[in-house]
Amino acid sequence: MNRRIFLMSVAGAALGCTRGHKQRLNVYNWENYVASSTIPDFEREFDCRVRYATYGSAEEMLAKVMSGNSGWDVIFPSNSFVQPMHELDLLAQLDHKRLTNLSNLDARFEHPAWDPPLEWCVPYMHSATGIVYSKSVSRRPLAWADLWTDSYQRRVTMLDDPAEVFAACLRRLDQSINSGDPRALKQARDLAIQQKPLLRAYLNEEVRDQVVAGDVLAAQMWAQVAQVAMDNSANLAFSFPEEGFALYADNICILRESKHRELAYEFVNYLLRPNVAAAIAIDMRTATANGAARATLPRTQRENTILYPAPEVLARGEWFAPLPGPAQRLRDRYWTEIKSA
Amino acid sequence: MKHLRAAFLAPGVAVMAILFFAPLLIVLAYSLLTRGAYGGVVPPWTGESYARVFDPLYGEILYRSVWIAGVSTALCLALGFPLALYIARAARHKGLLLNLVMLPFWTSFLIRTYAWMFLLRDTGLINSMLLSLHVIREPLPLLFNTGAVILGLVYGYLPFMVLPLYATLEKLDPYLLDAAADLGAAPFVTVWRVVVPLAKPGMVAGCLLVFIPCLGAYLTPDLMGGGKTVMAGNLVQNQFTTARDWPFGAAVSLVLMVLVLVVTRALMRRTEELL
Repeated sequence: MNRRIFLMSVAGAALGCTRGHKQRLNVYNWENYVASSTIPDFEREFDCRVRYATYGSAEEMLAKVMSGNSGWDVIFPSNSFVQPMHELDLLAQLDHKRLTNLSNLDARFEHPAWDPPLEWCVPYMHSATGIVYSKSVSRRPLAWADLWTDSYQRRVTMLDDPAEVFAACLRRLDQSINSGDPRALKQARDLAIQQKPLLRAYLNEEVRDQVVAGDVLAAQMWAQVAQVAMDNSANLAFSFPEEGFALYADNICILRESKHRELAYEFVNYLLRPNVAAAIAIDMRTATANGAARATLPRTQRENTILYPAPEVLARGEWFAPLPGPAQRLRDRYWTEIKSA
Repeated sequence: MKHLRAAFLAPGVAVMAILFFAPLLIVLAYSLLTRGAYGGVVPPWTGESYARVFDPLYGEILYRSVWIAGVSTALCLALGFPLALYIARAARHKGLLLNLVMLPFWTSFLIRTYAWMFLLRDTGLINSMLLSLHVIREPLPLLFNTGAVILGLVYGYLPFMVLPLYATLEKLDPYLLDAAADLGAAPFVTVWRVVVPLAKPGMVAGCLLVFIPCLGAYLTPDLMGGGKTVMAGNLVQNQFTTARDWPFGAAVSLVLMVLVLVVTRALMRRTEELL
């Protein structure tokens, strides 16, 4: 490379960075949470660029934005992370006047338990934890307790997530899934240890193939992931356990650090449009918190009882809540004991 | 002269200072602070995290990690030594054979681990083949146990054993082997009494290169072990994610580091004596 070409390329690179002064919005979302057209359409309509990246766990996201200068504008925390992130002063207070499409939210999400006035977040997608199972089993697992029976020897898995395993065990004990009571947690731990010899493994999404293949007969699983597995295999079914189960929702939030507030508001409002939200729900097979969008979905999806359980089923559900430090610590200790048992 | 030396060393020293020592100091500082309610660290300074490391529960995990890493290293040595010797003594295609050893690195470790899971699972290749040949009636539990974890580690780190062994064996003077044979040593005796002692530096280097990453492994125990076995790496990872206890995670990783350092120094000193 001679000097002239080098200088030209430097000039070119410098120009490339400033060209057009198009605003750039930085969006950090869960994997598989927008339709293929969502981002390009937004870029076209609002004449901007979107830097879009995904994360696989809420902790990963939190660790990255905790510094307060992560460079992200819009993020999608789970319901139990909204309050903590607000307490850490990471979230921008939402101005409802700029979110004209907010009224499209489903009634169930107008005043959610984790942020009733929707001051910090806008509910986006929701689901629940239950049991996905093979129809070939002799007795259908309709309760968590069924996953403790010998007939599933080495053919059952639980999620590799302490909150989910404790939730199932605590519901078996008729305790809140968010319990911090040392006695209840100890009993829950004992239940989990008792189940461990029966377990094939603690697996998250990756169990999906094994349930479809028939290696695993029953698995603790998120309803939305189970629905995708069921789309691929007619031999699968899903149950919302009798003892009760965990509910969760992911939410749209604008970070306090955001330097593109205007564009961020436009983006949130854009995601709240019925047609945009519906396209995402259809593409990704997720359950949208947008009631107006749901109404426009094809009937099979709108009335899908796994994505949108009936009210009497939902009554058994309980939202994950943030845990105080000591409870979190005790749970981690018991989780390590379960894993080491 | 002195200035020139300093000038040449400066970039290296700067890289080490910025990319190694500074992060290490941050980890040390983290380990001595208090857990933030939602992750992160807050004052005051405390040694509490270190006190917790010596809880029997965590001691057991450390012990298990050392055991699994040790077995994996021994297996790597047992498999890698004959292989390295073969390549070093091969008359032809040395380059090709070496490239074959390194070939797996062209794909991500994660993908290769998933490939193993596909081979080993109940409806995987191995079990389906044995089932259709009527060798077994029920699928063998090949995946999600300690054996699978060790298999995954041996598979992943075998090249790290073979390469340093090859480097030492390749330099071995072939006349020494001829001399041993002339003096009446059987081939096996030659290997045991001549090749092995001379290859010791390579063996120590290989063992360290395998043992240290095995000790801190977290991906393999998670995927191949199905999350049913915790190794030290998983414990650390968990503290920084679900448990949100950064000080404790930092303390565990530092204790692990000191442990590795002590073992390494002891091994190094013994090798120096041998030379």
